Amino acid sequence: MYRFLAAASLAALFAYSQTATAAPPHPGRLLASNCFQCHGTDGRKGFEELAGKSSSSIYEEMKEMQAKAADQNIMNAHARGFSDNEIWLIADYFSKVSR
Amino acid sequence: MKRRQFVGLLGASALSLLLPGAALADDERKRRSTSTATSTTGTAPVLADTGATGSVVVVGGGMAGATAAKFLRLWGGSNVKVTLIDQNATYSSNIMSNLVLNGSTTMSQLTYNYNALKTLYGINFVQGSVVGIVPPVGTGMGSVRLANGTTIAANKIILAPGIEFDAVPGLTPALQDGYVTHAWKAGAQTTKLASQIRNMPVGGTFVMTIPASPYRCPPGPYERACIVADWVKKNKGPNARVIVLDANAGIQAEKHSFETAFNVTHAGVIDYRPNQTVASVTANTTGGKHAVTTNTGTVYADVLNVIPSHKAGKIITDNPALANVGGRWAGVDVRSYESSGVPNVYVIGDSAASGQPKAGHIANQEAKLCADAITRALRGDLIPNPAPKTNSACYSPITADTASWLTVVYGYDAVNNKMVAVPGAGPIEAAAASQDNFNDMKKWFATLMADSFA
Repeated sequence: MYRFLAAASLAALFAYSQTATAAPPHPGRLLASNCFQCHGTDGRKGFEELAGKSSSSIYEEMKEMQAKAADQNIMNAHARGFSDNEIWLIADYFSKVSR
Repeated sequence: MKRRQFVGLLGASALSLLLPGAALADDERKRRSTSTATSTTGTAPVLADTGATGSVVVVGGGMAGATAAKFLRLWGGSNVKVTLIDQNATYSSNIMSNLVLNGSTTMSQLTYNYNALKTLYGINFVQGSVVGIVPPVGTGMGSVRLANGTTIAANKIILAPGIEFDAVPGLTPALQDGYVTHAWKAGAQTTKLASQIRNMPVGGTFVMTIPASPYRCPPGPYERACIVADWVKKNKGPNARVIVLDANAGIQAEKHSFETAFNVTHAGVIDYRPNQTVASVTANTTGGKHAVTTNTGTVYADVLNVIPSHKAGKIITDNPALANVGGRWAGVDVRSYESSGVPNVYVIGDSAASGQPKAGHIANQEAKLCADAITRALRGDLIPNPAPKTNSACYSPITADTASWLTVVYGYDAVNNKMVAVPGAGPIEAAAASQDNFNDMKKWFATLMADSFA
């Protein structure tokens, strides 16, 4: 439920940035760029493509990976580096990138 | 008001600004432009007016510099002009270059060009050597001067010169004559070392030395020991040995993976000796064994690979205000990578003292942080990124077809203004080396290089 509330508020917060020319960048962009080295610039190509995926599916996958043994998969380890709010920002960013 | 030259600003001699070998992938100066791995078949992004306006010059086209140039255009938009300067027409990847040593790949396969950055992102690439810098003052323009007399103006200057080596008695002539290698700036040195290993006598001894930290790519030397051990035990008989002389008190990264590799996977082949500081090198020019003398004695080698200790690139160490960490490294504000000594000059990658490893993957992330901060500044937004995060990740081959991995996520420590590992998020290494990791390594590398150069 926290998840969906957060999703709704993020959507409202960033709606304006889609239209204005010189609006500030999405606040998740720089955080999300930590994923580009393995998932491609803006989440296109590389390991699992993140561009255009729903924010809730990215969030849920990251939370699942956080709970798994860190040394079994590099993403299990990596997911632990980000707070719930940061994961939301990252997930929201990729969900708004066109494939 | 006439802007003062950097030389005046720093009170240094004019000579100190001459950078004949500005240390950008030094081995590749004479390199031909052979087939390279970077394609230009991608789609050019449509760059918008983001409100940011200005000119940025990036000195050094390695992992950090190339990424910074790309993201300054991608995020800065149509009114941010970017010039990328490197001495060489192409970049030779250090990452994966240990796999040249066992013949799995070649340096030409690890060579990247700047075509995509030029054609897709509109970056002005200039091949040349930087001989002087005038730091911009306030929102005004500074400049970078090239050896051919060209001057390029900029509101912001990014320096990404990589690393320079300290002198080791006896090493310079041995390197110049090709008897001994460092192979730690990938290129001709790497190919040379591969050929020396191939020509090593049966039952021969390969000796390598590891410098005191900090050095570029913490797991890299141990990875090299593994790759060479794996190859010599298959090709040079049961008596072939790999002796590792480490200046450090112990393995510096992926301790579990490399202890397993040294004591189990390559047991009896690798002889690991910590606390060995190199004092001198004596090359044998008549085909006999080379000698390396440490604080504990002299070791003889059929093939000798000496990785000297590191410092920041010459463009940094020639300027005391930039090299403000022990005269060896560039102090930076890790929220932007702006030099803590010279405003409007930014230092990213291996030359920066950022509290993070010196390696290509994290250099790519430092570059994005810097590009974001400069974009903000060129929009007139003076609020720095309040909570930057970066990540370091790498895969290390342990044999010709298995690899381990290592990752850390770093967060901002506002009290000490430095990056620290997020609790629970590393360093974490793979439970075991595997073929799956080896395959993932190839995909990681291809994607990382595309994120940086394409």
